[in-house]
Amino acid sequence: MKPQYKEEVIELLYQLADDDLLVSYRGSEWLGLVPHIEEDVAYSSITQNTMGHANIYYSLLEELGEGKVDDLAHLRPAGERKNAIILEEKNGPGHWLYGEPRYDWAFTVVRNYFYEAIKKRKIDSLKQSSYEPLRQVAVKIDTEIPYHLMHWRTWFEQLVRAGGEAEERMKAAVARVWEDIGGVLSLGPNEEKIVEAGLIESEAVLKERFLEDINKKFTELGLKMPGEPGMKKGDGRAGFHTEDLEEALAQLSEVYALNPAVPW
Amino acid sequence: MAVSVRDAEKVKYREFMERIEAGEKIEADDWMPDDYRQALIKLISMHGISEIMGALPEKEWTPKAPTLYRKLAIMAKVQDEVGHGQLLLRVAEDLIKPYGKTREDLIQDLFAGRLKFHNVFHWKTKSWADAGLIGWLVDGAAIITQTNMLDCSYAPYARALKRIAAEEVFHAQHGEAIAVALATGTEEQKEMLQDALNRWWPALLMFFGPPTAELTGSSKQEITIKYKIRKNTNEELRQFYLTKYVPRIQGLGLTIPDETLRWDDEKKEWIYKQPDWNLFLKITRNEGPMSQERLRLRRLSYENNAWVREALGLNTKIFAS
Amino acid sequence: MAGKKVPFYEEFVVFSRKTPTSPCQEQFTLLAPNHEIALVMAQENFMRREKVCDIWVVKRSDIRCMTPEERKTLNRIDNKDYRNTKGYGYLAKFWRKLDQGMLDEKEILSWSKGRVVE
Repeated sequence: MKPQYKEEVIELLYQLADDDLLVSYRGSEWLGLVPHIEEDVAYSSITQNTMGHANIYYSLLEELGEGKVDDLAHLRPAGERKNAIILEEKNGPGHWLYGEPRYDWAFTVVRNYFYEAIKKRKIDSLKQSSYEPLRQVAVKIDTEIPYHLMHWRTWFEQLVRAGGEAEERMKAAVARVWEDIGGVLSLGPNEEKIVEAGLIESEAVLKERFLEDINKKFTELGLKMPGEPGMKKGDGRAGFHTEDLEEALAQLSEVYALNPAVPW
Repeated sequence: MAVSVRDAEKVKYREFMERIEAGEKIEADDWMPDDYRQALIKLISMHGISEIMGALPEKEWTPKAPTLYRKLAIMAKVQDEVGHGQLLLRVAEDLIKPYGKTREDLIQDLFAGRLKFHNVFHWKTKSWADAGLIGWLVDGAAIITQTNMLDCSYAPYARALKRIAAEEVFHAQHGEAIAVALATGTEEQKEMLQDALNRWWPALLMFFGPPTAELTGSSKQEITIKYKIRKNTNEELRQFYLTKYVPRIQGLGLTIPDETLRWDDEKKEWIYKQPDWNLFLKITRNEGPMSQERLRLRRLSYENNAWVREALGLNTKIFAS
Repeated sequence: MAGKKVPFYEEFVVFSRKTPTSPCQEQFTLLAPNHEIALVMAQENFMRREKVCDIWVVKRSDIRCMTPEERKTLNRIDNKDYRNTKGYGYLAKFWRKLDQGMLDEKEILSWSKGRVVE
């Protein structure tokens, strides 16, 4: 593998891995607090699947000599993380445990729905990737996306169609998530090289397909398309992050960081 | 000549007891004496809500679990607990249906302190070892209690417990895996586990409830045994638990914080220091170390999500497209 | 004679339960004008040689099946040993060294007998 090519592979893998890790970390915080007991159980499986996907990507990085999977997942500081900012954001205001957590289900549904819709388009593209191991894991991960998409699409449709307060909350969540959903589509400052290396199709192509999906759904539900996907808080791929990420990393690495060298 | 209502009831009761004695199963729509239904409602709604509340202490460590593997495993485990809550609440909901009550009423009863959650879920967690210890020893106690009711006379409960028991096999091993990793790890990890055991030991003994009603004022163990809902008394279950788990705990090199603990070969029972039953009584009044915090978190999430339940509850028709 | 086609009987799915603690199992479907008739025909159509303890009949139109597209949501990656006993099999060896058995299905289900003092 040429060093330049390897660099692009690594860059893209970090984006994919960190996205799945952060969104599933936020999912794990919901466990036990979801609006409906049956949904609590269902959502947790999606969270586990997604953390499993992160694990798969980190394993590819480990094979490329980047270090142990758990070091990659737990010990990299915020500045080195490549996830989109919208995925690191808290589930809602208030400390996640006994400090008045007010988790926002509308935000969670919208964030997850848009995330899975983009992930599906990315995975389809990765199935043609020039990097064989990535092509193989894309085929694997693709098997679990249909459930994730159906699950979040169903919640999205029903809460929008419910009208009243639910519809208003969903619209507000759409507006909020849209401001930063561009960060998930972003391939970062090295996009050109990543695309040139044939690892994945361009941001523009992925965006067009995602907008096509969303446009169709929005038309069906009578929702207004919010325009261009934004990246208001910055590009996580370029190392821009918020305090929410710092907080998340502190939590998720609290135990592991006590002694990363030993089995737990 | 009409038979008096009381005589008819007596005949029904005799027939019911004959079925119970013969090991037959009772279904939700079978005739059942009122104290049987009441005992079931109390037992199963408490069991169900305890699973839901029991997710909270472990949930504190779910996002913090040390490795991705442990994160996934404890998530799957807590998910199962919520799932057990779901199964059990469904059984309880069918029992309270004749009174026009629903899950909503059970949740409100919890908030009002009318429905209690299990005494073991009122305790604080301090470190990752607590998560391991809960998974290992609290779950072990729960498995002892639950398998004791696997042959329960009430069929819907027996069916739920059958599903639960199958999943508990994973739980038992998951908890042990964490404990074994710590017990065979660094000094720091070993200390962490020993410290957790020191703090949790009284809670583990209390888990099974008081040995006699005299100690705490009330106990429903007699009625549950009479109706073949469970087989053993609180004390018998505690003894069974000690037999199964003391050798495992000591095998891991841990010290049980009770110098008086020993097996009496003549009496064929464990001698142990009684936990503080006054504290137990406090806990049953929701005055335990974390009772109010956990209830508050549950209430907060419930209120915070009210709009979701309302949105879907009021609009069941428009979704059938 | 070419009258209007009368709506024929409805489709019912028949389920049965073998013992009070076994899950309900789908048997087959039958045609009947209503639930009551469906129920009286169910046992002799599908369970002539089988003893069951309960039978359910459900209108087929009340059952929401998955579409072929939706069935694709049922696939999973085989990477979930962490939630199965398979991921913890190594413990057996560890406990053996300590003269302790494995808490496997056989052991745990045997606890249903309760405490027996020998």
